[in-house]
Amino acid sequence: MTSPAEDVDVVAARPQPRRGVSFRDAGPPIALVVIFVVFAAISSDFRTFGNVQNIMDTAAVLAVVTCGITFVLMMGSIDLSAPGVMGAAAIAVSLLVLNNRNDNDLGLVGVLLAVLLAAGLGCVSGLALVILKVPSFMTTLGVSAIGLGVATLLFNGVQPNISDETLASWAVDRFLGFSYLTWIAVGCVFVGWLIQRYSRLGRYAFAIGGAEEVLALSGVKVAPYKVAVFTLAGAFYGLAGVMVTSQLSAGLVQAGKGYDFAAITAAVVGGTLLTGGRGGVLHSAVGVLLVTVLNNGLVQVGVSPYWQGGVQGLIVVAAVAAAVFPQRRRNQVTK
Amino acid sequence: MKLKSRPAIALLSLSMAAIALAGCSEEAAGGDDNGSDGGDSAACAPEDVQLVGQVRNESNPYEASWLDGGDAFAESVDLEQQRLTYDADSTKQQEQISQLLAGDTNCLVMNILPNGDSDTLPIVEGAQEAGAYLVTQWNKPADVNVTDYDQWLSHITYNGVDSGKQIGDALAEAIGGSGGIIALQGILDTGAAKDRYAGLEESLAANPDVELLDQQTANFSRAEALEVTKTLLAKHGDDIKGIWTANDDMALGALEALKAAGKEGEVAVVGIDAVPDALTAIESGAMTATVSSDGPWQGGIGLAIGYCVATGELDAADITDDERAWFAEQFLITDENVADFTSPTVDDSEFACDNLFNRSQGAIS
Repeated sequence: MTSPAEDVDVVAARPQPRRGVSFRDAGPPIALVVIFVVFAAISSDFRTFGNVQNIMDTAAVLAVVTCGITFVLMMGSIDLSAPGVMGAAAIAVSLLVLNNRNDNDLGLVGVLLAVLLAAGLGCVSGLALVILKVPSFMTTLGVSAIGLGVATLLFNGVQPNISDETLASWAVDRFLGFSYLTWIAVGCVFVGWLIQRYSRLGRYAFAIGGAEEVLALSGVKVAPYKVAVFTLAGAFYGLAGVMVTSQLSAGLVQAGKGYDFAAITAAVVGGTLLTGGRGGVLHSAVGVLLVTVLNNGLVQVGVSPYWQGGVQGLIVVAAVAAAVFPQRRRNQVTK
Repeated sequence: MKLKSRPAIALLSLSMAAIALAGCSEEAAGGDDNGSDGGDSAACAPEDVQLVGQVRNESNPYEASWLDGGDAFAESVDLEQQRLTYDADSTKQQEQISQLLAGDTNCLVMNILPNGDSDTLPIVEGAQEAGAYLVTQWNKPADVNVTDYDQWLSHITYNGVDSGKQIGDALAEAIGGSGGIIALQGILDTGAAKDRYAGLEESLAANPDVELLDQQTANFSRAEALEVTKTLLAKHGDDIKGIWTANDDMALGALEALKAAGKEGEVAVVGIDAVPDALTAIESGAMTATVSSDGPWQGGIGLAIGYCVATGELDAADITDDERAWFAEQFLITDENVADFTSPTVDDSEFACDNLFNRSQGAIS
């Protein structure tokens, strides 16, 4: 029973260190450096330390969401549940810590409960996928709607504003120049990388994305790992929802609006493929920085807001094209 | 076969009975109607009027207060308002409307917030065909005339240029008439965003010493406003004396950015909509001004117009063309008058049938 599993580990680990592959991994970081240098050359406001702080602080939430979504993408599934899960977690946490709506004052326990709620919603996505065999695109869209529904019910017409000192300080207080939220994001990326690199969950996620049938034929029960991956992703979204609440000092139903596609974009720009089996948390983190630097830089150099959307899209397409360029011969079929 | 048809027959006879009953009550209603005979279907007994308020979602404090205002009006005439929300989804809005119009529409009164300009016409045509009374607010294509439809009683909106200018002037005053400001626009392709920004431009022309350092869009979103403001603070630093935003959500996002930068209270912030958190911020001095369209009033007035016409207290023919599509009054809120707006109350006299159009600021040109 053990030996097939070990084989799989080897298979899963193989694609990483190979010659010729290195350029693929180097693409997005090079693009990041190039874009950064270009903006720094054009705009004197861009290259200040204050702005670098600002970029890192802005990237924090997206980085945590992308951490979660990366595991799902590595499996070859898709996850659109971030807006709903984040909304539910945001409202839940704002009602559990010190706030203007009720007498709760659970502090960090409240944060934990909100993350658990989010993990539960992620788990529902995973269970619907493996038990009901509904494609992940639909299940996660449904779970997003459920999350928004839960959030709207809890919201109940009155904005919950938080007055919890700890949570509010995350967005304001700084350590070594960066806000606590940024350090939380760095911690998430690190933990995500550890899970991806050293745990069976992370390695199987890769293997499922690469060749699920092979894994199943080797006697591995795939289903529990899939559910676990979606649960893990949900937990990351939940934490991101808590972080948004900390930034805005208020629980918003729309806390996660737009983060689903922003995170998928960041992951893909960083080199995590939608087909699964490639990329990883560190790739995605680079993607997050790329997208954030782009957003920030376009404002800093003074591109008109009427042009920004279009210019952003153009650069993202160019960056993805550059990232997959070395593989275009192998990707004969593009769907 | 027998077993199958039995429930069907039961269902059929039940629905026949229901129809018969409904018919009876309608006739009775007709009979009840005192001296003013008229003999046409327009006069509904007050208790037969069905009130519907429809907005995007209740998670938006402004729209929730709109529905609360509708409830308050309905209570004042001993009715209940049906609260509908469509999650800012145009298709869902149209479905809800067609479901409503498929039912009994003789005494149906709808106070609708169309999702966008293009959603208004199908709603109007549906109401016209079904004979339901309709009042719409905010969104209407400019080339569609309310006077072309009998059942579309009125369209109410607000002069965005005016509100944009009002808060622009309040901001200029707050920073002492000179200094740099930044502007956060709404969703760029909406009429509200365009008009409000045009208002800011008018205000800037009138206050030549106020300099617009930068303008960006934050799509009416609190979270986006937070990020854009942080970036602009990094770019312009202490040159920013004031922040003009096209709605309060963005103003609140900008306030969080100021808090994170340790500049809370040093920079004046203005918005539009008068959401509860913005009023709290004005009370505490963190925010300078906002503009209120009075959500509870909006929720009540649409139902009131429809109710008055449906019950025959107001003849639809007596509504002048200028009252068919009009700008309603809006209120600039600063720390001087904020206390009047923190607990919005609905004044029933505003909804009296002879007093419905007293907030008109003129017809929509």
